[in-house]
Amino acid sequence: MGDESVPYFLGEGTTKTYQIPISHLDYKFIEKCTDVKHLEKILRVLRSGEEGCYPELTLACEKRIECLDPRSRALRKDKPAATASDFTAEEWQAINSELMSWLSEMNEDDKKSQLLRTDTPNERPDNLPPIRCSSSCPPTNQNKNLQNKQRSKKNIPRDYSEWDKFDVEKECSKIDEDCEESNSKARFFCRPSLPIIEKKIDTTGMTKREKIFIATREKEKGNEAFATGDYVEAVTYYTRSLSVIPTAAVYNNKAQAEIKLQDWDNALQDCEKVLDMEPGNIKALMRRATVHNHLQNYQAAIEDLNEVLSAEPENSMAKKSLLEIEEKLKGLKPVSEPQGKGKKILIEEIEDSESGEGREENTEERERRGGDKSCGAAAAARAAAGEPAMGNAHRKSHGKGKAQQDRDAHKHKDSAENGGKKGASKKKSEKHLSDHEGEVNGYLCSDEKSESAEAEEISTPHGEGSQSAGGGSSTSLPPAAAKLKSEGNELFKSGQFGEAVLKYSEAIEYVTGLGEQSPDDLSILYSNRAACYLKEGNCSDCIQDCNRALELQPFSLKPLLRRAMANESMERYRQAYIDYKTVLQIDSSIQAANDSANRITKTLIDQDGPSWREKLPPIPVVPAAAQLHRWDGGSLTSENKPSTTDINREEELQMNCEEAAEKFKRLKNEGNDFVKMGEYEEAANKYSECMKLNTEECTVYTNRALCYLKLYKYEEAKQDCDHVLQIEDSNIKAFYRRALAHKGLQNYQASADDFNKVLVIDPNVVEAQKELEEVTQLLHLDSSAEDGSQQAHGKKITIQEVSDPAERGEGPLAAAEGAEEAEPKAVPRRSSQKLRVSEPPNAYDFGQIINALNASKDKAACADLLTTTDPKTLPVLLSNKLEGEILLLFIQSLEHYIAGKDPGLAYQHLFYLSKAKRFKVVLALLSKNEKEEVQHLFDLLTESQSDQYSLEDLESLKKVYEL
Amino acid sequence: MSAVLGLERPQVVSHVQQALSYTVFDCKWVPRSARLMCLGSAARGTGIIQLYELHGARLEVLREIEKPKPIKCGTFGATSLQQRFLATGDFDGNLNIWNLEAPEIPVYSVKGHKEIINSIDGVGGLGIGEGAPEIVTGSRDGTVKVWDPRQKDTPVANMEPVQGESKRDCWTVAFGNAYNQEERVVCAGYDNGDIKLFDLKTMSLRWETNIKNGVCSVEFDRKDINMNKLVATSLEGKFHVFDMRTQHPTKGFASVSEKAQKSTIWQVRHLPQNRDIFMTSGGSGSLHLWKYEYPAQRSKKDSEGSEMGVAGSLSLLQNVTLSTQPISSLDWSPDKKGLCVCGAFDQTVRVLIVTKLNKI
Repeated sequence: MGDESVPYFLGEGTTKTYQIPISHLDYKFIEKCTDVKHLEKILRVLRSGEEGCYPELTLACEKRIECLDPRSRALRKDKPAATASDFTAEEWQAINSELMSWLSEMNEDDKKSQLLRTDTPNERPDNLPPIRCSSSCPPTNQNKNLQNKQRSKKNIPRDYSEWDKFDVEKECSKIDEDCEESNSKARFFCRPSLPIIEKKIDTTGMTKREKIFIATREKEKGNEAFATGDYVEAVTYYTRSLSVIPTAAVYNNKAQAEIKLQDWDNALQDCEKVLDMEPGNIKALMRRATVHNHLQNYQAAIEDLNEVLSAEPENSMAKKSLLEIEEKLKGLKPVSEPQGKGKKILIEEIEDSESGEGREENTEERERRGGDKSCGAAAAARAAAGEPAMGNAHRKSHGKGKAQQDRDAHKHKDSAENGGKKGASKKKSEKHLSDHEGEVNGYLCSDEKSESAEAEEISTPHGEGSQSAGGGSSTSLPPAAAKLKSEGNELFKSGQFGEAVLKYSEAIEYVTGLGEQSPDDLSILYSNRAACYLKEGNCSDCIQDCNRALELQPFSLKPLLRRAMANESMERYRQAYIDYKTVLQIDSSIQAANDSANRITKTLIDQDGPSWREKLPPIPVVPAAAQLHRWDGGSLTSENKPSTTDINREEELQMNCEEAAEKFKRLKNEGNDFVKMGEYEEAANKYSECMKLNTEECTVYTNRALCYLKLYKYEEAKQDCDHVLQIEDSNIKAFYRRALAHKGLQNYQASADDFNKVLVIDPNVVEAQKELEEVTQLLHLDSSAEDGSQQAHGKKITIQEVSDPAERGEGPLAAAEGAEEAEPKAVPRRSSQKLRVSEPPNAYDFGQIINALNASKDKAACADLLTTTDPKTLPVLLSNKLEGEILLLFIQSLEHYIAGKDPGLAYQHLFYLSKAKRFKVVLALLSKNEKEEVQHLFDLLTESQSDQYSLEDLESLKKVYEL
Repeated sequence: MSAVLGLERPQVVSHVQQALSYTVFDCKWVPRSARLMCLGSAARGTGIIQLYELHGARLEVLREIEKPKPIKCGTFGATSLQQRFLATGDFDGNLNIWNLEAPEIPVYSVKGHKEIINSIDGVGGLGIGEGAPEIVTGSRDGTVKVWDPRQKDTPVANMEPVQGESKRDCWTVAFGNAYNQEERVVCAGYDNGDIKLFDLKTMSLRWETNIKNGVCSVEFDRKDINMNKLVATSLEGKFHVFDMRTQHPTKGFASVSEKAQKSTIWQVRHLPQNRDIFMTSGGSGSLHLWKYEYPAQRSKKDSEGSEMGVAGSLSLLQNVTLSTQPISSLDWSPDKKGLCVCGAFDQTVRVLIVTKLNKI
C-alpha cells in the first residue's frame, strides 16, 4: 500500500506534500488501508488543510490509525493542561485537599525547624568525606588512586585528551614503582561486579523529619530495584533504610527480596522482626510460613498459616499452602521421618520419597513467576539453587504433577480397580517424565511449554488422560492397535488432532480387519476419533463416529456428549437437546449437559414457540442398568438410538470455506463494535452467528461470555467459557470470565478455583486477586450451603477437568504474591458486581450513582435506578450534571428495560428529562447514532400505548427532542 | 474504551500561574518546604532571585534579591537539608553559594568560568548521594568544573578541550553514580551533540558519544545509585534514554530514542519518587510525561562474549501544552509526589500537579 504501488488515475491530481493521489482522501480508502505510515501521511495532509478542510474525514482517519496502531505518534495532539472540569468534583477536591494538607504540614514543619536551627550548629558535623584531591588519608585501600589525584591536581586544568589518555597504572608507575595494587581498579570498562554500597547511613545531627525523608528515599530505591529484579541491590537499599529508621514495612519488603534470593535465614530473621514490631502482620506471617516451608520446618509453617487463618479465615492462599504442607507432612512421615529438618535437598533422585518432589513444586512455581516478571530474578534464583539442581526440581514436579493428576482421574473409579490402575498411571507418568526430561532440564521457556502441554491434557473435558491410562491397562486390544491408540492419545494431548485422527483410523481399520473384536474397544476408538473431529470443527464426521460408537456401545457418555456438542454447533438443536437429555438420564450430575440442555431449551423456545416440545423426536429411555454404571461401559444392552437423520444433513453444512471465513471476520468485528458501544445483547447475537461459522475460534466465545456476563446471563457465560477451555486450556480470559460467571451463579467454590487458575497463569492480575478475596469471603458466608456446592463441584470435575496439578503446584502464594509495597501497580478494578440501587436522597448521591453506572455502562442497574426514582424529581437530582453519555445511558436503559414494561414511566422520564438543566446543550451535541436511539425509543413508546400519555403528547415531546 | 483509559492516565493540572516581571531561567523547589526559587534576568540586565511560598492556589513572594549579573542556573544538590544553601551560576561565569536567610554576601564565591555558566548540578547534599558535597558547572567557555564548597578558588576537577581544539559550548551537566564514597561520574552535553561521561573516581573519560544535535539537558534517573539510566534531550526534539548498567567495550551503552515534538526539548527531569517516570519540557511550551519500561533481559552477550545492554521502551503517559513560548526549566518537588514547577519564556512560572502517579 505504499505510495509507489498505488496506481495513478488519469486526470487525477496528487497532494502537494507526499504526492498522495487525491482519491486516497476518501472514507472508503481510509477504511481499507492497513498501512499506518501511509495513513499518517494522509492525516498530515488532512490536518494541514492544504487540500481543504474535512474535519469528519480527519476524524475517521485518526480513528483508523488508532485502530491499527494505538501508539502512533500522529495521534499525539497538543492538549491544554487539565482543569477542574476534567475531574469529578470529588477527585478535584481530593487533589486540592491533599495539597493543602501537605502545605500545612510543611509550614508547620518549617516553623519547627526554624526554631531548631537556633539550637543546632549551622556547620555540618565533621563527618564529611575529605575534599577530592585533598591530602587527608582516605580510609580504604584507594590510597594509591587518591595520591594520584593529588598529584594531578597540580596539573589542572587538564584537557579531554589527557582525561582520555589518563591511565592510572601508568601514572602510578611513574610516581611509584610498585603499581600492582591499583591495577584492575582503574580500568575503563571493568566495573565492580557487585557495587560496594554502604549498608549504613550516618544520621548524626539529623532531625526526625530528615531521617524519615532519607529512609523513605532509600525504601523507594529498594522498591525500584526490586521491580527491575535487582534483588541484591534491593536488599541493600532496604538495609540502608532500616539503618535510618527501622519500620515493619521495610523489613517486610526486605524479607520478600530475600525470599527471592532464597536467602532463607535472613528472610526468617526479617519476618520475625516485623512480627516483633507488629504481631499478627499477615504478610510477614505468610512469608515466614514460606521460609519455614523451604527450610522444611513444616510444623512452624503450619503454625504460621494457622495464625493467618485465625486472623483472616478467608485467606485462600494461606489455606492452599496449609493444605499443601500438611500433605507434604503426611507424605514425609512414613518414608523419611528421620530426614526431619534436613537442609534443602535439591538434588535427589526421582524415585526418591514423595516429600522431596512435593517440596520442589514451590520452587518451580516461584521460579516460573519470577521468570514471567523478569528473567533477572530467575537467573538470580537459578544461580542460588545451582543449575543442575533446578533441572531436577522441574523434572520432579512434573512427575509429581502427572502422577497426582492421573490419580485424581481415577478417583471416581471402583476402589478395587484403583490399585492396579494407579500403578499403571504411575508408570506412565514416569515415561512421560523421561520424555520431557531434556526439555525440562533446559530453561524456563521450555519449562513453561511442557507445562502447558500437560495442562492441555488436564482440562481435556472428557478425561482423555484417564481413558488412555485406563485403556492401556484394562482392555483387550491387540498390541498393535493399542500402540496406535496410545499414539493417537499422545497426539491428541499435544493438540495434533489431524494426526491423531489418522492414528485412530489406523487402529480402527486394524481392529475391524481382525473381525469381531470386543465392541468396547472399537467404541472407544470411534469415540476418541470423534473427539478429534470435534476439536477440528468437523462436526459431521464427529457425529458419524459418535453414531458408530453408540451402535457398538449404547448409552456411553462420551460419544453422546460429543454428538450433542457437534449437533449443537451445527444448530441441530433438537438432536442436541435429545442427546443432552439422554446424558442426563445416565448421569444427572453432569454440569455441562445440564447447562447445555437449558441453553438449548431457550433457543428452541425462541425458534419454535411454546409448543417446541411437540416438535422434538422422542427421547430414548435409558435402562436403569445404564444409569450410574456409566464408567464401566461394558455390559449394557439396549436398543439403538435414532440417529439416521444426522448423517443425511451433513452436506448442508459444507459451506464454501473462504466465504465463511470472511463472513466470520465481519461478524466478529461487528460484535466487537457492539461491545464497545455497550450493546451486549446485539454483540452476543453477532458472536453467536460467528460460532455458526466456526466453532474453533476461542475469542468469539470469550467475547460472547463477556457479553453474557454484562447481561447477567451467567449460565450462558459459563458455557462459553467451558467451551473455550475445552479448546484452549490455558485461556486466561475464559478462566476469569468463568470465575465471574460462577460467582454470579453463586457457585463460589468453583469461582474461587477459577480465579486461582487465573492467578496461576498470570499472578499479576490484580482484579483476579481481589475477586478471589471477595469470593472466598462469600464462600464462607455461604458455609451452610457449602456441602452441597462442594459435592456438585466434585461431580462436575469428573467430566470437566480431571484435575489440576497446576493448582496444586500453586505453592506458597505469599512468596509469589510479590512485595506489595514494591509494586504499587493498581490495576483498575472492573466493577462486575451489580450495583445496589436504591432511591437516592439528593443530587449528590444521585450524581455518584450515575457516575458509577456510567463508568460501567450498566443499563440494567440504571433502569433500576430510574424505576425507583420519581420522574418529577429528575431535573432536581440531575442539577447541572447532565451529559451526553448520561442521557444516552438513560435512553438506552429506558429503551431496553423500562419502555417494554411500563411505557408510562418511560414517557414520564423522557418528559422530565427534557426539563433538566443543560438538556438543550446535551441534545445539540448528540451524534447521529445517538439520535437514532432516541428515535427508536419514541417508536417503541408509540407502539406500546399507555393511558398516561396520548399520541399528541408524544409528538410534542418528540419536538422537544428535536426529532 | 479510550475514555476509560484516559481517566486512568495521569493528568497535568496547572495549579498556579504567576506572571513575572523578568525573564526566568531556572526554578527550583526549596527542599523540605513548600517554597520555590525563581532565578532570572531583569530587563535592566541585573540578576534576580525570588523566593516564593505556595499558599493554597497562589504564590506569595517572600523575598526578592537583586544581584549585578543575570543568573542562569541554580541547585540545592550540595547542601545539607538543614542549611539549604542555593548555589547559582551567572552570565559572567561566577559560581556563588547563597544563604537565603542572609543573601547580601555569598557564603562561597568564585569566578569559575570565563563565560556564562549554562548549567549547574550538585550532589552529596540533601541526603542524596554518598561522598563529599560537590557542585559541577558547565560553561560556554567549554570547560566543566567540579567544585567542593570547602575548597576556595580552585576546582577539584576540571575538564576542558586540548589547546587549539575548538571549544564547544557546554550546555548541560549532571552528576550520577554516587552510590558510595568513591564512585561518582559527571555527564556533560555540548552544543555539537557530544555527550561525555567523566569518571571522577578514576579521573578518566569513561564514555563519549554524539547524538548529532545539540544536547540541551542530561539527567541520571537517580544520582545516588549505581548508575541506571541517563536521559539526554536534543535541540531538534529528540531525546535518548541510555541504559547505563551495562557498558559494552566498543558499543558503549544501549539506548532508545523518541521524538517528542518538532521543537527543542529544553529540559528533562525524573520524578524523584519513581526513577522510571520523567518529564520533558519543550520549545513549543509543551510538557511530555514519559515512562521507561525495562526489557525482559537488561543485558545480553554479544558474539564475542562481552556483555552489552538492551534498551527498553518508552511510553507517553501524558502531554500538555501550557504556553506558546519555550518552557526552559522544570523541577519536581522532592517532598510532594506529583508537584512540579516550570518556568517559561512568557515570563510565567507555573506550579503543576500531576495526578495518579501512584497508579502507574
